[in-house]
Parts: sequence; C-alpha cells; structure tokens
Amino acid sequence: MKGASLKILSVGFLISILVAISAFPTSNGFPTGITDPTTSTVEANGCNCHNPDPTTSVIVELTLPENFTAGEIYTLTFNISGGPNDAPSGENLGGFFIKASHGVLEPLENDTLVQKPFGENHLTHTTEGNDYREWNFTWTAPESDDVIVTFSAYGNSVNGADGNQGDYWNSATFSLMGVNAVAVADGEHGLSTPQKLIYGFTIIAVTLGVVIIGNRMVTKEQSFEEVLKDYWKYLYPWLTTTDHKYIGILYIVTGFAWFFIAGILGMIIRWQLFEPRLDGDFLTYQEYNSTFTMHGTTMIFMAAMPIIFGFANYLIPLQIGCRDLAFPRLNAMSYWLLPTGGIVIYMGYFTGGAGDVGWTGYVPYATDASATKPGTDFWVAGQIMLGASSTLTAINFLTTILRMRAPGVSFMRMPLFTWSIFVTVFLLLLAIPVFAVALILLMADRTFGTLYFSGSCAGDLMGTTACSDPILWQHLFWYFGHPEVYIVILPAFGVLSEIISTFSRRPIFGYTSMVYAMTTIGVISFVVYGHHMFTTGADPLFRFIVMLTTMLVAVPTGIKIFNWLATMTGGSIVTKTPMIFALGTVITFTIGGITGIILASIPLDIAFHDTYFVVAHFHYVLVGGTLFAFLGGVYYWFPKMTGKMMNETLGLIHFAFSFIFFNAAFYPMHNVGISGMPRRYATYDPALTEMNQFISVAAFIFGFAQLIFVYNVYYSYKYGEEAGDDPWDGWSLEWATSSPPPHNSFTEIPTLKSAEEAE
Amino acid sequence: MSLLEDILISDNPSIWHDFGGTSPGYAGITWQMMIWSIITGLLVFIWMGYNLIMFKHKEGDPEHKDALKAGVFPHERGSPKIEIAWTVAPLILVIWLTYISLAPLDYLWDVPDEDETDLVVDVVASQWTWTFTLPDDYVIPEDFTNCGKFNETGVRQQNERTTYDCIEIPHGGIIRFNIYAEDVLHAFYIVEIGVKQDAVPGIETLAWIDTSDVKPGLYSIYCTEYCGDEHSMMLADVYITED
Repeated sequence: MKGASLKILSVGFLISILVAISAFPTSNGFPTGITDPTTSTVEANGCNCHNPDPTTSVIVELTLPENFTAGEIYTLTFNISGGPNDAPSGENLGGFFIKASHGVLEPLENDTLVQKPFGENHLTHTTEGNDYREWNFTWTAPESDDVIVTFSAYGNSVNGADGNQGDYWNSATFSLMGVNAVAVADGEHGLSTPQKLIYGFTIIAVTLGVVIIGNRMVTKEQSFEEVLKDYWKYLYPWLTTTDHKYIGILYIVTGFAWFFIAGILGMIIRWQLFEPRLDGDFLTYQEYNSTFTMHGTTMIFMAAMPIIFGFANYLIPLQIGCRDLAFPRLNAMSYWLLPTGGIVIYMGYFTGGAGDVGWTGYVPYATDASATKPGTDFWVAGQIMLGASSTLTAINFLTTILRMRAPGVSFMRMPLFTWSIFVTVFLLLLAIPVFAVALILLMADRTFGTLYFSGSCAGDLMGTTACSDPILWQHLFWYFGHPEVYIVILPAFGVLSEIISTFSRRPIFGYTSMVYAMTTIGVISFVVYGHHMFTTGADPLFRFIVMLTTMLVAVPTGIKIFNWLATMTGGSIVTKTPMIFALGTVITFTIGGITGIILASIPLDIAFHDTYFVVAHFHYVLVGGTLFAFLGGVYYWFPKMTGKMMNETLGLIHFAFSFIFFNAAFYPMHNVGISGMPRRYATYDPALTEMNQFISVAAFIFGFAQLIFVYNVYYSYKYGEEAGDDPWDGWSLEWATSSPPPHNSFTEIPTLKSAEEAE
Repeated sequence: MSLLEDILISDNPSIWHDFGGTSPGYAGITWQMMIWSIITGLLVFIWMGYNLIMFKHKEGDPEHKDALKAGVFPHERGSPKIEIAWTVAPLILVIWLTYISLAPLDYLWDVPDEDETDLVVDVVASQWTWTFTLPDDYVIPEDFTNCGKFNETGVRQQNERTTYDCIEIPHGGIIRFNIYAEDVLHAFYIVEIGVKQDAVPGIETLAWIDTSDVKPGLYSIYCTEYCGDEHSMMLADVYITED
C-alpha cells in the first residue's frame, strides 16, 4: 500500500515539474544594441553596431609575407568575403578595422580608401572606402625581428541597404613571425594561468605521493599493495565514520584545506594588483574575474562555514552532555556533500574558465552569455549542493540542542558557543532555502531560457515593459546573504565568549544579556539586507528603514564587546595563545564593526559602495572576526581533540605575524577605497600603485605566516605535551570528559551542577 | 613618506569637503563618523589595555570564589544598571548617526524634474562603454571640444551630440543623468564628486549634480558594478567646462 501511494506521488511530482517547465516563458534572443562604432567599442565588442555577434560565414583574410625582417616595409592586403549578397562591387559593401601589436600601419600614399584616425594606431576604411571589400596598406616592421606580431582584424560585410539590418561581421587574428623569432611550442598554448597552477600543484602532489609511498616501500620493505593496504586501514574509518568527533575533525581539516586553496587564490589576486596590469600581463581579465569569484565563494562557503560546522559538530554534543548528534548518518552525508560540492564548483577550471560572476552572482550578468559557460553552471550546481549540506547540518544541530541536553543543562545554562550555534541554526534554516530557490531559478534562466532575472524582454531595448526583474535576484540573494554573514560571525562570538571567560578565570559578565544580544542580532539580521542595495534606486522608505535597522545591529554587538571587556575587568587574565588570539579578534572586529556603521549611513555608502572600503570592511569582519576567533578556537580546543597541548612559542609567533600583517594588508584598503578604487577591478589608476604594492607585500607575508600554524599543528600533534582533561580550567562539560574524549564521548552521561550545588 | 601619508590621510574631495553635486554635507557626516569611530575604538582599546595591565594573572594568586570548575555552571555575573547603560548609550549614538545621515539624503533624493534642470544627459551603459547623448534642443557651445573628434591636423573639433566614454557639461548648472543599461548591471560613479547610481536593464535610474558647487575640470567616471571581463576598463571622462 505504502509503496503504491509513493509511486503515485512521485508520478504526480514528475508531471507537475514537466508542466512547470513547459510553462516557463522563453526568450527569442538578445536585444540588438545599436551604437556608432568607435575604437574602444570595436576592440571590446567587435562591430556590434551592425550586429551583436560575429558571423562565421564572413571570411576575413589578410595577405602576409612568410616572415619579416626588422625595419622593412611590407604592403598588406585585407580582404573579406562571404556575408550578405556576396557581391564583388557596388555601393556600401563593407568596412574594416585592423591593429598590429608591433610595427606601424600606414595607408598607402594618396590612398583615399584607407585612413588612420589622428592619435590612433589602427587603420580603418574611409567613407569612400565603404564601397570595397579589399583594401591595401603598408606595415613597417618593428626594430627587432625576434618577436611574433599579432594583427587583430575586423571585417564587416554590408548588404548596401539602408540601416544595419542584414549586415554581418567577423574578426580574426593573424600572427607574423620575425625571421629570428623562436616559435613557441604548441603545448604552451591554451593553458591559462590558473590551469598551469593547478597542473603544477597536481604534479607536486603526485610526486610527493610517489616519494612517500616509495620511501615506505624501501625502508619497510613492503610491497606496493601492502603500503596501500596500510594507508587504507588508516583511511577507512575516516571515510565511513558517523562519529561526531571524527566528522567534526574532517570538517575542520577540509575547511582549512579549502582555506589554503582560497588563500592561494587571494595571493594570486594580490599579485595581479601588485601593479596596474593590462589584460593578460599576468592573468587575463576573465581569469582574474574567476579568481576573485572562487576566492570569495570558497572562503565563505567552503572554508568559514565548514570550520564553524566542524567545531559545532565536535563541541555541541560535548558541551550539552550527549554521546553524538541526533542524526549521525545525516551528519556524515552533510559532510560528504561539502568536498564533492566544492569539487563541482572547481570543475569550471577544467572546462575553460571557472565561474566569473562574483560570489554574489548578480544577474543579468550571471544569466548572460558572456559569463563563463559551463564554469558558472558548475558554480550554481555546486552552491546548491553546499546549501543542501548546510540545511541538513542545521536540522541536525537544532534537534540535538532541543532534545538531547544532559541533566542540568537547561537553556539558560548552555555554554555560549552552543547558544551561538543554536541562534545560527535558525538563520541557516530561514536563509539557505531562499538562496537554494534563487539558485534554481538562476539555473533555469541559464539552461532552459526562462526569464526570471534576465533583464528585459527580447527586442525591448530601453525597457519600458520589463518582463523580468534583475533586482529580484538581489532581494533573494541578500535576504540570504546578510544572515549568512551573521551565520559566520555569531559562532565566532561564541568562541570568543568561551575563551575570554576561561582565560579571565571568571564567569562571563552578563551571561543573560549575551544570550539576548545574540538572539537580537539573529532577528535583526533578516531586516537589514537592503543596505547592500542603497545604490540600486530602490524605494527611499525601504532604504531608510534598512539604514535604521543596520545601525541598530551595533547595539547588541556593542553589548557583547563591552561584556567581554567587563569579564576581563576584575578577573585574573592568563595570556596564553588562545586568549591573545581572542583579544586580537576583539580589536580587529571592533574596527570592522565601526566601518560597518560608516557603511550603514546611506550618503556615505553611496560614496563607498563597491569600492575597496567595503573590501576592507568585510575582511576585517570575516578574517579579523571569524578566522582569528576560530584560529584561537583551534589553539583552545586542540588539547581536547588530540590530548596534546599546542606549542606556545610557535603560537605567539603565528599570532604576531598574522595580526601585524593582516592589519598592514587590509587597513590601507580603506584608504584605497576612499580614493575611489572599485572592487573587482583587475587594473587600476596608477596613482594607487604604491599603496597596492604595500598591501600585496603585507598580504603575502600574512598568507605565508599561516604555514607557521600548519607546522605548529603537525609539530604539536607529534611532540606536544600531554594536555590532561581540563588544561585551561574551563567550566563547560567538554572539559569534564577525557582528552581526547572516549569513543562514546562520555563514559556516563554527566550532570551539569550549579555553583550553589557544588559548594 | 608619501606612502605613510597616503595611509594616514585619504584625500577624496567628495568625502572630506563640503563638496558639490549630490553630496553637500558629506563632510559633516564624515567628520562626525570619524570622531565617534575614534572615541569608540579608543574606549575598547584603552579598556582592554587597562584590563591586561591591572588584572594579569600572577603566580600564586589565591583561588577566587567565582573561579571556574569543570562541570559546574558558574555564578551569574553582571550588573543590570551597567548593562542597561551600555545598551542605551550606543542606541542613542546610532539614532543620532541615522539622524545626521538624513540631511544629505533630502538633497540627494530630491532629483530635479526635467524642466528644473539646465541639461539632461542620457547615459547608456553597455559592455563596456559609456554612451552619452545630449538632448536635441541643447546648443553645444562652440568651445566644447574635449570630447570631439580629431581633424587631420590633430585638433579636436566641436563635441558631437553623442559621445563615447567622454562627456563635457557646462559649469554652473543643474545636470541630470538619465541612466540606462543595455545588457547587464553597471554603476555610474563620478569618483571625485561622490555620485553613484546603478544602471539596471529595463529600469531608468537617475543621478544629478549641481555643477556650480564643483570646480571646473576633468573628473573620472568608473563602472562600479561588476559587468564582466573589461569591467575595470569601463572608464569615462567628464569635463566640467565654464561657458
């Protein structure tokens, strides 16, 4: 019976999906843009004055010598064929545009058909030259003949009729080798810079693997199979585990792994911005756009969130005194969606360019043909998988916290980290599904040709009757996106509360107000998202309301900062690495919070929106807030997870380098932004070169300083001192079990006593 | 030294001075924000420094009655009076900051109607060009040549009605920009004047400046909404010229 009704239900679902798909409005094509040709538009878009897209039926040809000698003058012939009524002569037949990477192009003497506009170095037809499909001109070879010269040629085949309809154009590039030029090996063509890096890292990884396995085979005299079997024995429990402690560590390690990958991308961004570069000097602009898209997406969804979920996975059952999460298998599934979803997102790199739509994926660029394909589709698909992963995790945490608290752990006695996750869970459950829906609509737009976000109807140029709404995406995205940034900052608040209280040797000041502050931030986070849209031309009342609510976030956040400081006052402060990290976080997060208030003010936001000021702000919040807090968290809970203490000296060196060079890298970004440098710019005003070089150098040192952390983790895991159950004298229940905790987390379910009972 | 200066002082006239266009009073908010930021920041940093100096743990400190013990929920610490104080004080501060943000908005959002303006410019943003079109009934002054084409002798000719990546507007008048996007989102940003407005396909958006508040000269227009490969090259010049 049950099976039969399920079958009927699924058939019903299928039919309704099919009906829905067939009911989608579909588009007939993109509106034709009509503008007069100019040099820069031709170079950027081709002859889109006549037709938006090139046509392959038009054949552009340039007669070139076999190679060239330095300084020699050559006469070249440009010819187009194909296109509308392929006529050899007549009126208004075509036009051309040609540019050479080296050497000088000149019209023939007394030639009235070809002109070189003043101050330009390209050639094009004159009005008279419009009546031909073949033009001659000269080219003076450059002084050195060991280069390869590229000619960019555009030919327009015109049908002679009035207007631009029925005209077709095409472009081609031609290479001419100097007699002394060395031909570049074919293999080096077609590999983009990120691909080279990925292949490079893959080769390094494979080599390392061979070396490690080979070393084992030689020193232990094992066969290849035996070595692999040994590793498999070690790997198998990690691949099949449903234990919250194992999954927690998997999450944390995966999060940090993606963090390092995205960190490398961040350094690639900084190298591109080391000086104002032209397209292709280091990265092409398209590659740069993919790089910052992947950097942002990876850092938020695949580094910050997994690290948080990892700590929550490990600590929630320990802090509330239960043996595991409510749904261990679901937990494993949410974990495994993360690396797989991440790989799907990165697939773009192997298919001609990763997604290049920014982490915000604004439409209509994201639905437009000019966004990378299929890189952006991979980006959308992977995001949906990560969204599913977070939603499942949220359900797991919620159920666990609601139903599985040990005796004595009432709501108002939960540790503040658990409280922060409890609030975060609601944000996840209310925000992520909205994002998932938006992504599915985006996918429909991209693949089925629907028109949810695409901009305007076919043929509708100035948009008097807009059929679809590009702003809708921003509403959906930021309804999710703003709670998302609280999803990554609230758990950091939880970590800070734990660390500061423990190392001040005192209970947290104002526990109740901390809980209410977090809850208030959670509620307000859903009504502030419009502050990302102050310049879109939204309703002034809407903008005023979100300005006010955004400002209000400062109140509960201020309460938290003041409570932490009051916790320290009157305490007995132990300055170990976790505490130093926590205090550093309070400083950087305060700066990030203050710039947040500045950005909340609409007039100032209009000046700062989408400039580096915003980049500085959110790096202060996300790196200076979330990352630093969780690095402190690693130093704090590492003894619990491994039973070994982390090395203090290395920890303090790591902190000093991170804190100094983080500020050196990101503080000047405020100034760069005030000077007007927009974010997502692959090149910039040369006046800002010095500042950008300073930022880049500091960012590299900040990046490499994280290797100290990796080494510290490795070193302490191998050689660290024994930790004992409660090395920091913390109070919450995770310190009441052994380090590392036993297989079932607690040998018997503990009871949380109140201070009065314990006395 | 200049790098240090750059880091300490950011000179964008649209932010630090009472500057023209749509940003009168930016300077007022900027200074207030600056002062309150410094006060808040110093409060946190000094309090933290004080704590670290006065309450540092010393070997042999006696065990405090409130000290934490594993498995025991500690005594509640706190003082409602102090907590209410630092809830209300920031509340008043942010309401004040919201209030002072409103004055420039009254001006900014009061976009003049077309008949109240001296010039209406149609701005069309497309990948990756700015196209400016002046109204048909506008007489382009003869000495407006900054966006004109070169003739054979290399001298710029008078501006045409439609110009690309360049626009010349008269000093001393209210100029309104009607902004359209042809393909994807763009944003119209005059850096030194502090005007920023998204260009959205299918929707006409508006920006305006009063050029009598601005010194004549050359200003830059950037595209500030990510629009694809050549985003960072989608620049334009705006000349404000005296008649």
